[in-house]
Amino acid sequence: MFVGMVVAFVAISARLAFLQVGRANELEERGLDHRVSTAVLPAARGQILARDGERLALSTPAQDVYADPTMVTDPWGAASALSPLLGIDAPDLAEAMTVDTTFVYLARQVEPEVSDQLLDLRLPGIGFLDSTKRTYPAGPLAAQVLGFVGTDGVGLSGLELEYQDLLAGTPGERTNETGVSGQAIVGGVSVEREPVAGSSIVTTIDRELQYQAQIALAEAVEQEGAQGGCVIVMDPKTGEILVMANDPWFDPNTFAESPSATYRNRAVTDAFEPGSTNKVITAAAAIQERSLSLNQRLSVSWTMQVGDYVIHDSEPHGVMQMTLADIVSESSNIGAVHVANRVGAPTMSRYLARFGLGRPTGVGFPGESSGIVPPLSAWTDASLATIAYGQGLAATPFQMVSVYATIANDGRRVQPSFVRGTIGPDGRFVEHGATHSRHVVSSATAEMVTRMLAYAVEHGTGVNAKISGYQVAGKTGTSRIPTGDGSGYLTRQYIASFIGFLPARDPEVVIAVILDRPDAGYGGVVAAPLFRSVARAAITRLGIAPTDPLPLPPHALPVG
Amino acid sequence: MFGIVVLNVLLAQASFHIDEVERRIETLSAAQVDLVREQATLSAPGRIAHWASRHGMRLPDDIRILHASGRTGVDPAGADPSSAGGGAEAASP
Repeated sequence: MFVGMVVAFVAISARLAFLQVGRANELEERGLDHRVSTAVLPAARGQILARDGERLALSTPAQDVYADPTMVTDPWGAASALSPLLGIDAPDLAEAMTVDTTFVYLARQVEPEVSDQLLDLRLPGIGFLDSTKRTYPAGPLAAQVLGFVGTDGVGLSGLELEYQDLLAGTPGERTNETGVSGQAIVGGVSVEREPVAGSSIVTTIDRELQYQAQIALAEAVEQEGAQGGCVIVMDPKTGEILVMANDPWFDPNTFAESPSATYRNRAVTDAFEPGSTNKVITAAAAIQERSLSLNQRLSVSWTMQVGDYVIHDSEPHGVMQMTLADIVSESSNIGAVHVANRVGAPTMSRYLARFGLGRPTGVGFPGESSGIVPPLSAWTDASLATIAYGQGLAATPFQMVSVYATIANDGRRVQPSFVRGTIGPDGRFVEHGATHSRHVVSSATAEMVTRMLAYAVEHGTGVNAKISGYQVAGKTGTSRIPTGDGSGYLTRQYIASFIGFLPARDPEVVIAVILDRPDAGYGGVVAAPLFRSVARAAITRLGIAPTDPLPLPPHALPVG
Repeated sequence: MFGIVVLNVLLAQASFHIDEVERRIETLSAAQVDLVREQATLSAPGRIAHWASRHGMRLPDDIRILHASGRTGVDPAGADPSSAGGGAEAASP
């Protein structure tokens, strides 16, 4: 017996020595692994602010709720308790908690008040992860511009996507040595790398004006039976975009409930044949190149044969003697063709490029379309003619507003921008890079084109855009819509537009309104009134004072 | 030896206190974020417009702006010569 005890004692001692000495490091590491856990500390996502600093998008703390089905003792019981708090059907929750896995999400981005109540239930196998929830306090305001984020907090569209890296920040990490019940062990391992918060973006968007424009657009779409539309308001001197509204819209707080077709910022991503609004380029090219005298009268008939096609003005008329100003004011297609013939195809092609058509504006927005401008080598007999009055090429509403902004800014094209600057994690505001600008046409050319556009509003097709006390310069557009298969154009379906700026002398805003397939059709009838509504809102919001009117341009047609 | 034990106890107490303060900071930070969100929601133009509409206010049909610049040759916005002195409302810029 004594020998047996000695043998047992020796064996135990040997085993003890083996464990305490031979495997000491290994066992110590395993013990530490059990006690040490690392948690990711999410970085606070930067906010998106309006130009006045008001918040358009911000993130708030939230929790993701998960289950470890292997630890859930009563799936149905847990599901019944969780269901009323999470707003998820109990059968769905129960099913999730019976899946053969050790981790399954039950709910994402749950508000802290709810997760606190869930915590109090002390359900085995239910855990929580720190998360954030993105909120858009103004709802559908500028939704397509802001975009939205997914459940993982990653930008999926709009500025949220474009500036994902800037907004996201850098997650941190916390490593703790914890006891059995999860409490930190004093004096144990405790290492923390602080997260670096994302930077916030200060946009150029004017929140109040954006709202008014969205409401006016929605009313116009409904009133005119249109399928949608957009409104853009821009500062021609700085290129800052004050408003970019699209209809139909969606609420980014609940984007999954809206059709994905509503997510697109059509003002930037969709190109359309600009129609008569493109005549501003035809006119600018003719004036800059001195292709014809301003007093020169052209004989403008109602129809014209161009190659295999017969083109015509919108309304039948006899032969009229028209100056360039009359052609712009009355929006004569035939007149525009006469002018373009004097300008010539190579020059016309060059001016389209100089005004920025055929390439993205570089504003910094995902999915921006470059539009479609056929290369000069591909122009047919009819190309110069159709392009002169804005068909046979495609441009986005944003490209077109930039064209008019160039005219409004003394012929100088300013790089447009959505962003005024950024606010770093340290709270310091850093202004966006210096605005780039370049001359497209001379100041004299720009002024003459402006006088013609003012004439068009005062006495031509744009009279519905007049605003008492202010001289408005602008152009109507009524363009046909190509069929999807390239076989021609849709019948009796048009894009109605009006693009203009005010005051004509020293403009402070450029406004473009586009209505997609309104019942009435004509830009002067349906788009010009919408322009006027938005312009009035801009006058009040921005405190735009009237200026001395510019004189009428040389014209031949009598004015009323 | 006794001193080391006492020091350890004090450290532990301080650690618990720090934990509590950190939890309070987290709670207050979360409350601050909630308040910021609430302020942003309350100031949203759509909410204010809806509130105004429910209280009987509406946007004017026409806005006439008077500018006291003393300029000549420029008619005040919206004013016909025959309407001088009547009906024009001043709107704040």
